[in-house]
Amino acid sequence: MAVATKHSPEDYKKSAQRAQNTAKVLRGLMWVALLIGVVASLIPFYLMLVMSLKTPGEIAASSVWEMPKVMQWSNYSKVLQNQNAPFFMFFRNSMIISTTATIGVLLSSSMVAYAFARLKFRGRDRMFNILLSTMMLPGIVTMVPQYVLWKYLGWIDTFYPLTIPAFFGGGAYNIFLLRQFLMGIPRDIDEAALLDGANHSTIFWRFMMPNMGPALATVGIFCFIYNWRDFQGPLIILNSPEKQTLELGLQTYRAMNQNQWELLMAGSVIVLIPILILFFVGQRFFVKGIVMTGIK
Amino acid sequence: MRRLLTLLTVFVCSFLLTALSSAEITLRMSVWDGDKALETIKAIAKNFEKENPGIKVRIENYDYTLYHQKMVITYAAGVAPDVVMMDGSHYQFLAARGALLPLNQFFEKSPGFDINEFYKPIVDSYTYKGDLYILPRDIAPIGLIYYNKKIFEELNIPFPDGTWTWDFHVRPELRDKDFLWVCQQMAKKDKDGRYTRWGFAPFDYGNFAENLALQLGALRYDNIAEPTKSLMDAPNRIKAYQFASDFSNKLHLGPSNSDAAGSLMMTTQQMFVQQKIGMYQCGIWEVPNMRKMLKPGSPEWFDWDIALAPSHAGPGGVKKFTTGGSGYAIMASTKNKEAAWKLTSYFSGPPGMTAMAKAGIAQPAIRPLALQKGLWLPGPETPIEEQFPKNRIITDTATEFVQFDPTSEFHISVSDRQNKGLELLWNGQTTAEKILKENQIQAQDRLDILRAQHDLPDFNWIVAAIIAAIFIGSILFYIYWPERGKKGTQMQVEETRSSYKFLSPWLIGMVAFTLGPMILALLMSFADWDMIRTAKWRGTQNFVEAFTTDPTFWKSLTITAIYTFLSVAISICGALGLALLLNQKIKGVALFRTLYYIPSITSGVAAALIWMRVFNPEKGLLNYILYGPDGKWALGESLSVSIMGEATKRVDWLQTEKTALIALIIMSAWGIGGGTVIFLAGLQGIPQHYYEAATLDGAGNMAKFKAVTLPLLSPTIFFSSITGIIGAFQAFTQAFVMTQGGPNDATRFFVYHIFGNAFQSARMGYASALGWVLFVIIMFFTLVQMKLSKRFVYYEAEAK
Repeated sequence: MAVATKHSPEDYKKSAQRAQNTAKVLRGLMWVALLIGVVASLIPFYLMLVMSLKTPGEIAASSVWEMPKVMQWSNYSKVLQNQNAPFFMFFRNSMIISTTATIGVLLSSSMVAYAFARLKFRGRDRMFNILLSTMMLPGIVTMVPQYVLWKYLGWIDTFYPLTIPAFFGGGAYNIFLLRQFLMGIPRDIDEAALLDGANHSTIFWRFMMPNMGPALATVGIFCFIYNWRDFQGPLIILNSPEKQTLELGLQTYRAMNQNQWELLMAGSVIVLIPILILFFVGQRFFVKGIVMTGIK
Repeated sequence: MRRLLTLLTVFVCSFLLTALSSAEITLRMSVWDGDKALETIKAIAKNFEKENPGIKVRIENYDYTLYHQKMVITYAAGVAPDVVMMDGSHYQFLAARGALLPLNQFFEKSPGFDINEFYKPIVDSYTYKGDLYILPRDIAPIGLIYYNKKIFEELNIPFPDGTWTWDFHVRPELRDKDFLWVCQQMAKKDKDGRYTRWGFAPFDYGNFAENLALQLGALRYDNIAEPTKSLMDAPNRIKAYQFASDFSNKLHLGPSNSDAAGSLMMTTQQMFVQQKIGMYQCGIWEVPNMRKMLKPGSPEWFDWDIALAPSHAGPGGVKKFTTGGSGYAIMASTKNKEAAWKLTSYFSGPPGMTAMAKAGIAQPAIRPLALQKGLWLPGPETPIEEQFPKNRIITDTATEFVQFDPTSEFHISVSDRQNKGLELLWNGQTTAEKILKENQIQAQDRLDILRAQHDLPDFNWIVAAIIAAIFIGSILFYIYWPERGKKGTQMQVEETRSSYKFLSPWLIGMVAFTLGPMILALLMSFADWDMIRTAKWRGTQNFVEAFTTDPTFWKSLTITAIYTFLSVAISICGALGLALLLNQKIKGVALFRTLYYIPSITSGVAAALIWMRVFNPEKGLLNYILYGPDGKWALGESLSVSIMGEATKRVDWLQTEKTALIALIIMSAWGIGGGTVIFLAGLQGIPQHYYEAATLDGAGNMAKFKAVTLPLLSPTIFFSSITGIIGAFQAFTQAFVMTQGGPNDATRFFVYHIFGNAFQSARMGYASALGWVLFVIIMFFTLVQMKLSKRFVYYEAEAK
């Protein structure tokens, strides 16, 4: 049983003040915790950067934290000038593959998502279940038969296996995200347009696509990064050194230069820079886009 | 008139000739040489192009660890190079399948070519069932010891003359005739009792052990050409392997694997150059590196030379050494056989080998070249920096004692099991008896399966077609049966039609790239298929093998499950906590969000490389934190005792069976920023008025979290755990780059296991069966979560 106590306005003021103070302290503590966390998670990058500027002797002798005595920028030029691992070529290849695949995914997954989100047809929900279940299919299962397929198409050691399939469906995950987003757009738009005699492709291109901007940006960035980081696909399909992607090229470079850590780390930095730039440019779409697609 | 005709003929002929020769041929040639040797290779190719106008050569360089898989799959895909570098332990697989051309047909009609000029042992080892498949390029007996003359002089020990012997213990009475005594003299310690110099180290302990085993007369198989039994657990082999481990771990005559690769972060070769070891065993191929690092006149320089390695002294001991060596072979798929032969014989013949010998890279397999002064052996005109090592004549002597790798087509796949987990032995974490007995069982199983392939019946296409039909039928049935016979209105029919228009890309892709391959994989799971020979029918045997006889199946499934649950649990809890913090109104929160996300977009290979450094025992970040800057913190010491068994040893995270998986789980936590974004989105989707209402009801922070945040976030948690589990079950890159599935299969994730079977052992059928098993497992876990979600997940829409 609660006993009512009398509070003077002073008391309220005081307790409000106290609450505010606690909140302030709490916020300060949180800020410190976040800072520690960030530093911890960025330390590996610091180590990488420092090591990439040391001489082999320094790596063997000095502590991991220590800055190099003289910055060995030549490590970077050594990596970039290596004839057997053309990093500029790797970059170009990664760019071509990731961009093409992303375009393909955006086009095809938005179309498919539109059908699943806003049209009624026989077997739709069960077909969507099938689509979702392909999310569970490990890539390695279809890898060998796909390899056989690429072989018959003459696509081994070309970019086609890494780009063309994106134009045919664009992946269950992406379709799922875009469908969620499309389901949130009010139905009145389509109904009004249909009454005006528009067909579905008009609705899709004229009304849906323009509204899907943020969602497409999110899916696009995810997809670009996914393709940029893909290792298993290029590992199996690309053979020629000048066709390899950055991710695979780094591994190739590593195989040729075992234990030369200053070069390996310089190579890693080189591989990381483009994706970091892309991320900083497109970062505002991440959180915003995900909120809008309403993952649930 | 006649003259005119002749002129005309000459003209036409020369025209045709130029036309023909301008029809340029490009030959693709694949090698695995490191960065340095590649320069020489490319120079030789340039010369070849000059001497053979009309033929262009394209050199392709591959990582040795993936080289042979690449050759198999590119051959199967019809895109193999024309000329390929090959070695004695891998070519038989291709030769047995007709993928390599027998070379006898070429050299028998090449004038001036004499196969007898090549060292006989290597020609024998490159001959498979009577035909030569590799034209030997170099022979590289690993019976050499590089030694530091300065240390020998300092200790007053005469330079080795190749008459050394060794036994299982030091024999002081023999003095410098006893190899182990010499090693013992060279060892040096600092005041803390840590070794600063050792006597001897091999370039690879596995190879060292193999040499010892050979000298005790223990071979790997009962018959190296047609093996029926693997002999990994023969008593003498166990003895040899145990001694190789004790040599560094108990006797401390050499640096252990973790001393070298771990603490000092250098290869044993670098240790030799830095005078941390007095003697170094390796093939001759390291000479160019040595010369580069030890330039006469430079401060690093000391006098060095090579000597014949010691042999076992005991009864029954024989002088035997393993050997490197490689050559060039021609793929059967080449369209330009003659040109390919020209290139092969150019590279393996005098023009190529002169250049390789001069660069010091390779001891020519052609004996007269190998014995020519001023070429391979130093002559009077050899420049000073190429004088070293002076005693190169012993590379010729050593060839008498070489033993080549087993020559059966099964060896690649079987040796994967024979050599499993040996790194634990070299680190002193297990005994030879234990690991070799285990490996023997697995290797014998593998050999029996491979030998049984020949007797399998042809692939049963009728049964396969029925299975495929049932599979397709049940999908169609699932989609259309519940709504059968329904007639739609005109408008509904129209809508269905345009739906299919929108769906068409997906439908095509689904059939061609997902469903089709899935069905093919299902059919393949009943087959035995190596991608080159026609498929055989194995029925359900692949599945039976997986569940009963394949010991790595359960092991890899278990570690994958542990990895999945721990890493998903950590990442969900971590991401949720982080998202709660990042959802506060704190200064600079936008920047924090961005920075936390960075690790999750990092390139997988680069991340793996960084983390290899973090987990490094001596210089690694993790041990730095655990052991403190002076290395004496109590936490670290108790870890050392409980994990490494010795207080002085630091935890070698990636090379210890108990910790390798933990290390990968820790590394996975680095990527929680990716999940955080999704939770953040979920948090921002919670309407603010719920919290206001809760505040009015007098709820505290904890109560609000329990009553509002958690239920409203449950769909996000559900989503994250489903996608997280699907992703974690397919972990691959970290293990591939950082641990190669080791040590002793401790990080052989299920997908890695599939990958290994498919591409390293070329067992596509078995790999497909494993793939389907994984699919079913993932499906099972997803369905269980779906069922559970009904109880725990709160959907707003349902409540309304």
